[in-house]
Amino acid sequence: MTTEPLDVTAIRKSRRKLPPTLVAGLVLVGIHVIIAVLTLFWTPYGPTEMAGGRLEAPSLAHWAGTDRIGRDLFTQIMIGSRIAIMVGAGAVAIGAAIGVTLGVLAAFATRTLDDALAATLDILIAFPTLLLAMLVVAASDGASLGAAILALGIAISAIVARLTRILVKRVLEMDYITAARTSGTSWPRIIIEHLLPNIWPTLLVNFALQFGLAVIAEASLSYLGLGAPPPNASWGRLLQEAQGTVYTAPFGAVAPGIALVILVIGMNLLADGLRDFGDPTRRRSR
Amino acid sequence: MSLPLLTKKVLAGAALTAVAVAAPFAAFGQDANPDAIIRIGSLYEPQNLDNTAGAGQGITEAFNGNVYEGLFRLTDAGDVEDVLVETYEISENGLTYTFTLRDGVTFHSGDPLTAQDVKFSIERVIAPESQSSRKSSLATIENIEAVDDRTVVITLSQRSISLPYNLSYVWIVNDAATELTSSADGTGPYRLDEWRRGSSLSLTRFDDYWGQAPANGGVVLTYFTEATAQNNALLTGAIDIIPAVQSPDSLALFEGNPEFNVTEGASTTKQLLAYNDRIEPFSNVNVRKALARAINKERLLDSIWGGYGTLIGSFVPPTDPWYVDLTDVDPYDPESARALLEEAGYGEGFRFTVDTPNYDPHPIVAQFVQNELAQIGVTMDINLITANEWYTKIYQAQDFEATFQEHVNHRDIVFYGNPNFYWGYDNAEVIALIASAEASETVDEQVEKLTQANRIIAEEAASNWLYLYPQIVVSRANVSGYPINGLNSQFFAYDIEKSGQ
Repeated sequence: MTTEPLDVTAIRKSRRKLPPTLVAGLVLVGIHVIIAVLTLFWTPYGPTEMAGGRLEAPSLAHWAGTDRIGRDLFTQIMIGSRIAIMVGAGAVAIGAAIGVTLGVLAAFATRTLDDALAATLDILIAFPTLLLAMLVVAASDGASLGAAILALGIAISAIVARLTRILVKRVLEMDYITAARTSGTSWPRIIIEHLLPNIWPTLLVNFALQFGLAVIAEASLSYLGLGAPPPNASWGRLLQEAQGTVYTAPFGAVAPGIALVILVIGMNLLADGLRDFGDPTRRRSR
Repeated sequence: MSLPLLTKKVLAGAALTAVAVAAPFAAFGQDANPDAIIRIGSLYEPQNLDNTAGAGQGITEAFNGNVYEGLFRLTDAGDVEDVLVETYEISENGLTYTFTLRDGVTFHSGDPLTAQDVKFSIERVIAPESQSSRKSSLATIENIEAVDDRTVVITLSQRSISLPYNLSYVWIVNDAATELTSSADGTGPYRLDEWRRGSSLSLTRFDDYWGQAPANGGVVLTYFTEATAQNNALLTGAIDIIPAVQSPDSLALFEGNPEFNVTEGASTTKQLLAYNDRIEPFSNVNVRKALARAINKERLLDSIWGGYGTLIGSFVPPTDPWYVDLTDVDPYDPESARALLEEAGYGEGFRFTVDTPNYDPHPIVAQFVQNELAQIGVTMDINLITANEWYTKIYQAQDFEATFQEHVNHRDIVFYGNPNFYWGYDNAEVIALIASAEASETVDEQVEKLTQANRIIAEEAASNWLYLYPQIVVSRANVSGYPINGLNSQFFAYDIEKSGQ
């Protein structure tokens, strides 16, 4: 049997072709991003306007029906998109900023400091995200959207830091780092030119995953009354408010649930797609 | 079916009618089974079996009037009637009560009821280690003396017209009984059969009961941790009755189904927006009245309870003797609300934060009120807090601007006579009326004074009383004769009839 020669053009082709998971993810997340931006300028009804009757079924006037005090649920869910994306993006940004910095520091630190940092991160990660977030919210002055974002950001930073530390350590053992080092390149330059380009694809995939998890965590916090205070229409709070009326008006619980699922699945597909796209070994196996 | 069922259609008048009818419907008389076991579903399992040891509201539901009786009883209509006391006399100065006990009453253990048991029972409630919620209202008792087997003399340090009412919460317990936290020895129509912790509590008819025998053979209270499971148990026939349904939307399962009866009585639970009346701008009567007029309470009640519940315009429910309908004092009128704000010097509106318990219905009520107040230019920020935070921040530290809360007790207008209470309402006339009402010589005088106090707090809009919760009982259609108001969580089982098996 003859070994197949490496088909260079096939690799090039696959590089141009986006993985279907990435496309699906982009579409699902894109829908939410468009809705979120739209709410800044227009919603079918005012955000807190009690425009309809009690628990109206979905109709042309109210696409997702109304809640107990007659607010339009579709409007609420649209605003929920904005809040979910703000929380996801905000929490990941905070998590990335703190996490990457800590991770790189740990990788470069002396052995004792590294061990101490690693142990601290492990302890932080051992705390369930939701519990950690509840602690932060409790310590701040009342529940607010900012406190929720900060809390989730801190929880995410521990995960990002641990991942970064491992990635950095692995890259630092590579020959080209030694080569760069012996040729007199400064550490900051090594980090920017050699290190970060080699770890960011993996980090990006992780950020997408963390985004999805942060959205769920914020919904959970709001469900518990610890997220964005009313009348901010977080999906978690919509679910909580619809819980008591699930027999008479099931759509009130189903609709925000669907919105939440679409965004989280979209984010996970996006993460999957990014990994396929950014991982050379996977590309070759296609 | 020709039962006088009190559904939401006849709500407003019904709540009052219900109060007037003591033992509501005694239907199915012909085929009622005298030995039937009534299965009651409840979410409130007692912590223990002793109401002086922090047993919780569940023990009142299970035992009050069923296993234990007091010298007096608060009927389902809100009246106080004699039970173990045959007659009593009050001295001229109102400080000495002489009670003659009913003859021929025996405890479940077979011991006869004596004056010693009564003395023992009252002393248990007022003892330093007692955790009874009635302890403070009995603080005027100076001395209790058992003169002979059937005579008890109570001496007070000052007049207390509510003594018989307060004594209705003192269970008469056999003074020879021990381990009252896990067993019982009372004089009621049922004796304790078995308590399976975490699951159920069963009562059996007591054959030597001094009064009229119960209309059924016994009672089983089944405890649930969650309302959905409880509703399902009623649907599948595992229980016969739920004494207090907490959400109108679970009622959709039972309404219009001929297999179930849904009744609405008058609860004593009041939903309110309480201000801190000590601080600006809530110290200003016109501001409080403006806020009362700005809220469409009819629509709010309908949003939360879907047609159940009542508006009362004050803090006093229809089952309190000093109830008057005060909904006309500050009716919904945003126009005059704005005018009142103007008059108070807040024509531009103002902003405040309301501490809102994070459980239903408070957050949704808060959002409704927030919308309504925005219409008159008042901005209300909602701060969600836990039940514990409510207790420490608001009830104890009184560090708040306004809050939402539900108040569950019967006859609790007295809170407005205490300027140190969390809402800090301080009106010398009301304080004097409430204090002197307790020292009244006759019940009429007490009712007159408290009615007057009730009117004043309503005129001054001391708090914003949003609505009175309904008390909703759901039963299977073959069950009747149950109490519909369930005052203070009590649920007398002895008149309940059940036909069929």
